[in-house]
Amino acid sequence: MPKKEMPPGALVLLILRVLRSGALHGYAIAQRIHVLSSEVLHVEEGSLYPALQKILLKGWVTAEWGISETNRKVRFYRLTPEGLKQLEAELDGYDRVNEAIQSVLRTA
Amino acid sequence: MSQFLRRLRYLLNRRRFDQELAADLEFHREMAGGIRLGNTLRLREEARDAWGWTWIDRLGQDLRYAARKLRQSPSFTITAVLMLALGIGVNVATFGFFNLMFLRPLPVRNPGTLLHFWRQAPQNLADNFPYSEVAFFAEYSKNLSAVLAASPAKLKIGSEEKLLNASFVTPNYFSELGAAPAVGRLLDPQQNEAPLIVLSYKFWQSHFAADPSIPGKMIHLNNKPAIIIGVAGKEFSGLGLGGPDLWASIAQQIYFTSGGEVQGVQMWGRLRQGLTPSVAEAELASLAARLRQQNPKDIWENETLPSQPGGYAASIRPEMYPVFAIFAALGLLILGASCATLGSLLLARGVSREREISIRISIGAGRARLMRQLFTESVVLAMLGAAAGLILGCLAVRGLIAWTDSPAWLNPAPDWRVIAFALGLGFGAAILFGLTPAWQFARQKVRATKVRQVLVGAQVASSCVLLIVAGLLVRAVNHALTTTPGFDYDHVIAIDPGLHDPTPAQAAEYFAVLMRRLSLVPGVESISMASNPPLGNRWSVSKTNVNGRPVNIHFNNIDPKFFQTMDISLLRGRNLQPGDTNQIVISESLARIEWPSADPIGKTFSKDIVVGVSANARLVSPEDSDAVEVYHLAQQDLLPSMVVLVKVSGSAEGIAPLLTAAAKAVDPKLFPEIQLLKSSYSQKVDLAEYASLTVGLLGLIAMLLACLGIVGVVAYAVAQRTKEIGIRMALGAKPTDVLSIVLRQFATPVIAGLLVGICGAIALSQVLRGQLYGISNLDPIAYLVSTGVFAVAAAVAALFPARRALRVDPMLALRYE
Repeated sequence: MPKKEMPPGALVLLILRVLRSGALHGYAIAQRIHVLSSEVLHVEEGSLYPALQKILLKGWVTAEWGISETNRKVRFYRLTPEGLKQLEAELDGYDRVNEAIQSVLRTA
Repeated sequence: MSQFLRRLRYLLNRRRFDQELAADLEFHREMAGGIRLGNTLRLREEARDAWGWTWIDRLGQDLRYAARKLRQSPSFTITAVLMLALGIGVNVATFGFFNLMFLRPLPVRNPGTLLHFWRQAPQNLADNFPYSEVAFFAEYSKNLSAVLAASPAKLKIGSEEKLLNASFVTPNYFSELGAAPAVGRLLDPQQNEAPLIVLSYKFWQSHFAADPSIPGKMIHLNNKPAIIIGVAGKEFSGLGLGGPDLWASIAQQIYFTSGGEVQGVQMWGRLRQGLTPSVAEAELASLAARLRQQNPKDIWENETLPSQPGGYAASIRPEMYPVFAIFAALGLLILGASCATLGSLLLARGVSREREISIRISIGAGRARLMRQLFTESVVLAMLGAAAGLILGCLAVRGLIAWTDSPAWLNPAPDWRVIAFALGLGFGAAILFGLTPAWQFARQKVRATKVRQVLVGAQVASSCVLLIVAGLLVRAVNHALTTTPGFDYDHVIAIDPGLHDPTPAQAAEYFAVLMRRLSLVPGVESISMASNPPLGNRWSVSKTNVNGRPVNIHFNNIDPKFFQTMDISLLRGRNLQPGDTNQIVISESLARIEWPSADPIGKTFSKDIVVGVSANARLVSPEDSDAVEVYHLAQQDLLPSMVVLVKVSGSAEGIAPLLTAAAKAVDPKLFPEIQLLKSSYSQKVDLAEYASLTVGLLGLIAMLLACLGIVGVVAYAVAQRTKEIGIRMALGAKPTDVLSIVLRQFATPVIAGLLVGICGAIALSQVLRGQLYGISNLDPIAYLVSTGVFAVAAAVAALFPARRALRVDPMLALRYE
């Protein structure tokens, strides 16, 4: 399973994106990214939790207590309206940059 | 903004947030099956970093560690705190005074909106007004909600000899300043018809034994009946430092002093809400122009009315800057000396902590982190020192206020400005004494001698400056006490008749009678008149440069017998004679500066012709060696403001009562003031004596600090080189060789420090030029003696620990290690 380094800033985007479909706890976020990337991207806890704290500070997500699938009390992170706005803005920007890069890669 | 609030919420619930994070991580680890076992603590710390509060935790750690370290070595801590307390305390005391005088508002209602006005015209400047002008402003000004005025006068109470200080004020004075009476009532703004008196609290206590039934009593002021209506509160400050003994309405001034129109009135205004002083100034200037059309005699052409904030005990004037500068420089020198001493103490202490530091570096402490920790220690020390210095400085202010019998409202308790000043100084000091050693430790280069040498040099330089300045002041006082200032002050008595605005003819008549009566008093040798009496509080001076030298030209208007009365010899030319109008006599030093090689007689000096040259006599300011004199013959129109000078044979004290009686007999309505020039002179010299005492004390403290520092560093140098000394002694080195090994490294910094100190003293003493009673600010004796004393003290301080080097036993030294 090849490990890929995450480009800076991308982690926040991915976290916000996986939270769009509903609240998740920290481990589930890492798992979801791992699975959805066909096991290419691997989110270390050493980068996940600092990123989550930063997102909490920005107010893009809130944390609330819930019960995990293993029946433990754990914190779920939920996207806030600002978080959604931020996600859309970042997606938009990412798409344009991505297209630009792709077109360069195709034609050059 | 909301981000800031979230951040703040995090800070307040730090513990809970941290526990939640820990729980998250634990759960994550469980789910992941514990595959990767990183450092959880470290991970938590990194995650927490996002909130930006980690520095608080680090600061807490550093502070706790610093406190522990300082508690471990109490003798070091106490020494350091005492040194800092001394250095900071001196500065806090000076700043405390400055604050009381210039920065702290007076305890009156809304001091911030009060303005103090003065008058200015292209050719004129005065801080007082004719009352008619003030009354005009009060009536017509729209930008000032109130105009206040006060006019000082000396009054006789009952049949007592001593005159009291009265202040005639506008009747709104008390209500506008929000004053409350201690007893009875204060002046009523609506009513000023009757001669009503308000006593000051102090005068009420000293003169009327704090009699609570005083309102309604009648007293006689200048033989006129007046009714006391009340006593002002103890805390009432009025609008300045010199509080009067009593107040009365300004409308009543003529009644008491039986003079003409009231002149010499100080004026304040209260600015309306939201206006700037310049608006009021412009309005008053246009009002003044309007008044000039009705009354061209009293109002100047193009008169403007600049203002200053009025709600302070005193206002800052540009000529005070050098005085402030010299006080600040002296205080900072002491602080500099204590910081330098402390710096070398810290360095010496660093040696004993080398092991601790190297252990901490080897287990991974970063250099920046280490430096921050060491600097925190210094800041803790400095804050302790600042607190102690604050107490010390405030005690000094309190002591001086008690000693000088200051008004009761002058509150010496430190306010936020003084506290902030002390803390700021403490922090600055921490940077001075703490940063270099911290940097050195963290780089593990404690043994570098360079820094120590620089510190010794700085100590030497700063204490040297203080000692030299003290030496100059001591010389000046000594000179003032042993030489004459160029005139005879021992046998001359000044009589200020206090005339009430007479015409020149009336004044001439009065003086003729007065002089005839005085000349009949046995023991009177000579009588003269001058417009500016020697050592008095009136002068007219022009500060200029002549041929590149600063000179302060003092003008005086005299009669022909002045030189004889004051015992000033005429060196060349002739005396002033009746009929002279633009002829002048100038003093010798002015002649020499203006015409170094030519004969001054017959030359023109600013439109006047020099007819004579007199010996130097610094009549008004004997302390100012740049003072020169120009004498005019007093013309008729100046007579109303002349002062009589009487030279007597024998003791001036003995004859003074006779002269007083003679002067009083001329006109019972007048109350002349008698002043012995002898006592004026000794008051002036006393002031210089206090100054030299204070600076001398500071100099000694600085010298002591410097010597302590030298003892410390030399003792350290001996300890450090014990082995080397042992080997050299074993090889046959002589005691002088051994001493030179230890002391050589300090010779250069001491000499360099002395030189820097001398240069600093030369620069600083430039400001003192005008205060040295004719002693040059480069006086070689003061410089030689001061540096000599310092050199001896430094040598003793260095030899004292250096002797230890001579007692090194070569065998023991070699066996060591």
